[in-house]
Amino acid sequence: MLGDEAVADAAEAARRHAENRIIDTSSGQDDGLNKCPSCGSAEIQYSLTAKALVCSYCRHTWNEENAEQAFGLDSSIADLRGHVMASGTADVREDLTTITLKCQGCGAEVVINVDQDLQARCHWCRQTLSVNSQIPNGAIPDAVLPFQLTREEAIERIDAFTAKRRAFAHRRFKEEYVPDNVMGVYIPYLVVDGNLHTVLQGTGEVTTRQYTVTRGSGDNKRTETYYDADVYGIQRAFDLLVDDLTIESAERFNAQDNEQATNNILNAVQPYDTENAVIYNSNYLKNFTSERRDLNVRDVDDDVENHFLAIARAKALPTTSRYDRGVRWEREGVAVRGTRWVAVYVPVWLYSYADSATGKNSLVHYIAVNGRNGNTMGSVPVSHPKIFAVSCAAGTVAAVIGAIVGFSQFLF
Amino acid sequence: MLPLLAELSADPTTMMLLADSDSGAGGIAIPFLAGPAVFAAVYGGIYRYYRNTDKRHHFERETEVAVGNLHSGDRKVGENNRQQNRRMRDDNSTDHLRRVHRIAVD
Repeated sequence: MLGDEAVADAAEAARRHAENRIIDTSSGQDDGLNKCPSCGSAEIQYSLTAKALVCSYCRHTWNEENAEQAFGLDSSIADLRGHVMASGTADVREDLTTITLKCQGCGAEVVINVDQDLQARCHWCRQTLSVNSQIPNGAIPDAVLPFQLTREEAIERIDAFTAKRRAFAHRRFKEEYVPDNVMGVYIPYLVVDGNLHTVLQGTGEVTTRQYTVTRGSGDNKRTETYYDADVYGIQRAFDLLVDDLTIESAERFNAQDNEQATNNILNAVQPYDTENAVIYNSNYLKNFTSERRDLNVRDVDDDVENHFLAIARAKALPTTSRYDRGVRWEREGVAVRGTRWVAVYVPVWLYSYADSATGKNSLVHYIAVNGRNGNTMGSVPVSHPKIFAVSCAAGTVAAVIGAIVGFSQFLF
Repeated sequence: MLPLLAELSADPTTMMLLADSDSGAGGIAIPFLAGPAVFAAVYGGIYRYYRNTDKRHHFERETEVAVGNLHSGDRKVGENNRQQNRRMRDDNSTDHLRRVHRIAVD
């Protein structure tokens, strides 16, 4: 027998479920041959010179449609209610590791490991077979932001970045630096729109008087400055419409965790023009590597709420300019009226270097180039003895100058 | 080398040192403060320039956001007189990432 409480809980759960709306972003194609719309060949790859998919047989070039427009993901954020989720953000199933692709050319069945690959060649008729359906293992996003920057352009930027950081770089890094190891990687992000109402409460102070007081006499005479202030209890309540907030959705690239790798570097090369992402097509990923999404919406929603609050606090700053002594926010909250979630692959040119070949203490240093706008950031391992020597020399010079200035004041 | 110098000049320790040498007070302590302060500033500046541990995407400023329907409620609750600091204690108006007590909002 269910109690009233359980019934109420179920009703609440049903209401919430009804508020979750899924937008189907799948291509509708079966797995197997992914054909050129012009000649029907399956030999297609993304060309960085054409910045488009190119058919190897008929040279037809095209790009998939803009995902936001095609799936109506660009509707007004102010009208968002409940949670709208594109189907590519569905919960990840870890047990889905292999699937069987049936070749529509010859009827053969090819098993592929979808943890590693999304394409395979039919071993009988040699045609390329692709995973075209949205299998729920996190490897198929709703949309892809294709590379704009060529590999050569990325290598130039990485070379320029490291050239400025050679003097104090670790010797082994300089010896082993091979920019040809730069790889094109698609990194999974969840892109979130939010319709929110936020409330911030705190205390602010306004200076009412500034005055100096003279203390002591003779050699001990000194002046001290004091400030009088009025204290205000302050509150700001406002609506926020957040467009395209990006959140890392692969655990290993978590921007807050820099223990094993310098993930903050990948975070720092943002922003990405995610509004230009196109509908997923496995041929965009050919010749690049891609990281599987392993975080679900519910794994990152606390993080997203914290991001919403940080944005609210940043937006509140100009409204508190009269509080010249500052504001201490003490309470904050956000009511989420509606959100929209889309899984997008973004392009990064990545050079990675492990500062120690073995052991748990090894740290992977990244030098990353945003594959869209060329933003470059990196971490170069340093030689501590060299920095120590230069800092000691500078400290000694400063101490000597300080001694001359100090003693001259003391003596005269 | 120029970006490195720019980072060094932005370092708060360097600023403190410059203020220290200008003040003229406690002149005898200057060499003992200046040496370690410059050491720390140079070490920290070079390390940060190479490792970029402080870099991140400033999403709170760069994300496209529309704000509206602002309601402000400010009222005077008291006075805080004879303070020696120009800024109030625990000012967090520019520290957007540190979360404070969460309240429920309808």
